Amino acid sequence: MSLENKQISSENTSNFKPLIVAFCCNWCSYAGADLAGTSRLNYPANVKIIKVPCSCRVNPNFVLRAFQRGADGVVIAGCHPGDCHYTSGNYYTRRRFTLMKNLLEYVGLEPERFKVDWISAGEGNKFAAVMNEALEQVHKLGPNRKLRDARWKR
Amino acid sequence: MEKIANKVRETARLALANGEVNKILGWKKGDFWYDSYPAFITEEEGTASLIWDSFCVANLSKYLIEQLKEDIKVGVFLKGCDARAFNQLLKDNRVDRDKVVIYGLPCPGMIDPEKVKKAGLAKGLLDVQKSEDEVVFITKEGEQKFSAREFAYDKCLTCQYPNPVVYDELLAEEVERNNTTEYFYQDVEEIEKMSPDERFAYWVEQFSKCIRCNACRNVCPACSCEKCIFDNSKANVAGKAKVDSEEQFFHIVRAYHVAGRCVDCGECSRVCPVGIPLAKLNRKIIKDITEFYGEHNAGVNPSLDAPLETFKLEDIDPFETRAKGGK
Repeated sequence: MSLENKQISSENTSNFKPLIVAFCCNWCSYAGADLAGTSRLNYPANVKIIKVPCSCRVNPNFVLRAFQRGADGVVIAGCHPGDCHYTSGNYYTRRRFTLMKNLLEYVGLEPERFKVDWISAGEGNKFAAVMNEALEQVHKLGPNRKLRDARWKR
Repeated sequence: MEKIANKVRETARLALANGEVNKILGWKKGDFWYDSYPAFITEEEGTASLIWDSFCVANLSKYLIEQLKEDIKVGVFLKGCDARAFNQLLKDNRVDRDKVVIYGLPCPGMIDPEKVKKAGLAKGLLDVQKSEDEVVFITKEGEQKFSAREFAYDKCLTCQYPNPVVYDELLAEEVERNNTTEYFYQDVEEIEKMSPDERFAYWVEQFSKCIRCNACRNVCPACSCEKCIFDNSKANVAGKAKVDSEEQFFHIVRAYHVAGRCVDCGECSRVCPVGIPLAKLNRKIIKDITEFYGEHNAGVNPSLDAPLETFKLEDIDPFETRAKGGK
């Protein structure tokens, strides 16, 4: 990275508001987000939650599309393995996104930008912690330019 | 190889003559020395044009999907990697085993015309002959001998299945190829060693060459959906804009779509008109699957579940960073 680029990116990070897209499963993680809200826990407003019936509903296309259209980080949150409402959905999620995460890293995405975590309906604290951590890491990295379509401005 | 080629022609002729099959899928010679392209033969006389040489690399198994739409019986010549592809199609319910007669051809490894061209040997080339591990280039001026490994396809250098894993009749004796698995992931590891930015720069450079011809998808025996999301203009999956992200999107999804079903035939890299090393994406996924879920050679045993179709309770969990409870 040239000096000029470095200056630009440091300027960007100072007033950079990251956008995190969080795919939350209806039964656990979305309820976890609710609990974080009703417990008045702080978690960043830059996290945009998309509710999905189950974490295994998240198609890898969704993740790529989010990065393409402006997300700086993507989080997938589902029930803990063993707790899936549909008994086995999150086991598939685990296999699929273990491979997908590695593939994304292989094509050059920073590993911190894409996260999968298990958050149950009772873990409001964990929900807030995961989102805060994701935001913090993405903030450090700066705006995502990889896999981005430059025409999508926010 | 000429002896086996004779047997190919004879087998095809007999099969058509006694009505065992209605159509034969094999290879035919084109105008150039490297040009061995798929042939579809229904008449007995046509079988004389069939060949078997060091350029019969085209995988014929995927053509079966289209051919079997008619109610006919098809005879097909398959090499080791093609037979794995056939098994994968069988597993995906894309072909009917009862309507296909497979003539297996143990494969001594194919010659990559690109490597010959790169070495500057292509000019005035009349014929290429390959014996065990020697390849002879014949021009007007004379003959030049080289080691066959020098000009073999990359995929052939690491091939573990030169003999067909499924066949009705084997046309030659099984070959033995002493390829070590040591270098199997060499290309992948080279990329893994780079920093994220270097990796991204590398892939951007590769993907930006893409002309979106979809050849990699069309040739792939694992990419056989009746309707592809990239063909569905209403689904808004494939954009038409000339931006890098569209190509990145396509290639990541293409590679991921065949995860656990890729038979590693390397056809995607071969047919790519701009030379994107697509097999390196597939190999990465194969490497990860082997590492996390144990070795799975797609298409070798069609009764096994593909790694992404199944799960185990004790699978590794790279995502669990906190203790359960999260307090």
